[in-house]
Amino acid sequence: MKDCSSVREQFALLLYGELSFDDEERVESHLDVCGECRTALAREKAVHAAFDQIEITLSPSLLRECREDLRIRLMEEAAMPVPARAGWWEKFVDAITLRPTIGMLRPAGALTLLAIGFAAARMLPVMNVNGQFAALVPGAARVRYVEPASDGKIQIVLDETRQRVVSGKLDDPQFRALLLTAAKDPADPGLRAETIDILNTRAQLTDVRDVLIAGLHDQNAGVRAKALGALKPFAQQPEVRTAFVELLLSDSNQGLRTQAIDLLTKGANVDRQTIGTLQELMQRGEQQGYVRERCRRVLEAMNASAETF
Amino acid sequence: MALKSGLLMDETALIRAAQDGDHAAFEQLVRAYDQSVLRLAMNLLRSPEDAHDVYQEAFLRVFRNLHSFRFDCSFHTWLYRIVTNLCLDHMRKRKVRKEEPTVVSTTDGPMDRMDAVPEERVDGDPQRHLFSGQVRRRIKEVLGELTPRERMVFELRHYQGLRLRRIGEVLGTTEEAAKNCLFRATQKMRAALGDFI
Repeated sequence: MKDCSSVREQFALLLYGELSFDDEERVESHLDVCGECRTALAREKAVHAAFDQIEITLSPSLLRECREDLRIRLMEEAAMPVPARAGWWEKFVDAITLRPTIGMLRPAGALTLLAIGFAAARMLPVMNVNGQFAALVPGAARVRYVEPASDGKIQIVLDETRQRVVSGKLDDPQFRALLLTAAKDPADPGLRAETIDILNTRAQLTDVRDVLIAGLHDQNAGVRAKALGALKPFAQQPEVRTAFVELLLSDSNQGLRTQAIDLLTKGANVDRQTIGTLQELMQRGEQQGYVRERCRRVLEAMNASAETF
Repeated sequence: MALKSGLLMDETALIRAAQDGDHAAFEQLVRAYDQSVLRLAMNLLRSPEDAHDVYQEAFLRVFRNLHSFRFDCSFHTWLYRIVTNLCLDHMRKRKVRKEEPTVVSTTDGPMDRMDAVPEERVDGDPQRHLFSGQVRRRIKEVLGELTPRERMVFELRHYQGLRLRRIGEVLGTTEEAAKNCLFRATQKMRAALGDFI
């Protein structure tokens, strides 16, 4: 009986072919002489077969959708700027400041600073007796001007740049204004893209939508892709459609232009402006093959000519 | 960018081409595996939206990290490691939410996973049809009661046909641990189906 229970415990692995040669041999030998275990094995096979009943059939449309979305996201990804590799000094500065990407280095940075401070205090002569310079870190301040004071001392005027962390919610207009400024920062496309990603949940607000529409003209394709994605739910609004049309006519990125066609032609009725735009593209001999093919297909579906009249 | 040597490149050549920025090679890699990835995600998560998310995230991660793939394991194992981690995250979150909808929405309309069984299995016999439906429902319930890891091992072994050794590699554990997991899962399933079969 003890043998029966230990053999039956092996049935699942036996059916999956996962028993070792010796274990399988032992089970088979037992089955030869035990009718009850043969019945139990038949039941195990029925259970095994029952599992097959719930295997789901893949929907071809889901697979198609996944492939299409992946294609677009890969284009966006390829268009994103590659961040410059930081040197050791930049990494160290990042570590002691507030950049989130390498936050794990912050404690190490803080410890290093502490050690430098300790060593400097031991090795350098005392710089001032009042401790007024204690908070100064090289690079964080700039001497604006110097002037001798009447008591024989010298007065130095410093410009200081300090980082400050503010936190808030998108619904706070003042806080949002900061983000809207960041979304237009001409020096940092990565910052613009990240900010648009954050703002896209508030695209219904006019100030946000204006920035998103402006983002469609950004010089960086990754930022344009983010702005286009954020404006998707508003594809029926006239000013958004106009911006999509402008992108379709003037952008150089095939993926973005294809996405613009999809958004403009979504739904049963395609407006005259869009049909006219597609006809214009065909007439001027659209060079990008995929865009040309999409235009042709949409116009065919609308029973519209590929030429303007 | 065109493939460097047609469609018959072997997988290693495809991966190397994709690592060098050959988009067509990357697409071919995706096409080689994406159906099984989507099927795995769909079977485990039972939600087209979640399966879609896992599909996108998995292949984007592959795209971003392919340069660091050093052929220490097979590409299949590497890819499945990414996919199973993503699915486990989803399942753990869902476990917290206790969310296991029977009817799932698909792009082809609402669908009950349990109704995906071909009609011929019940031979048109109404009683058998009813019984078969009960069994499917029970299996679904039990699957929902398995731990995410048990569920994952069961899925990979039973539906994806991976050997336990490979499952261990994918999940970052030993073959023995995967075997124990499968053992527990099948025991629970057997016990729960006791009244039906």
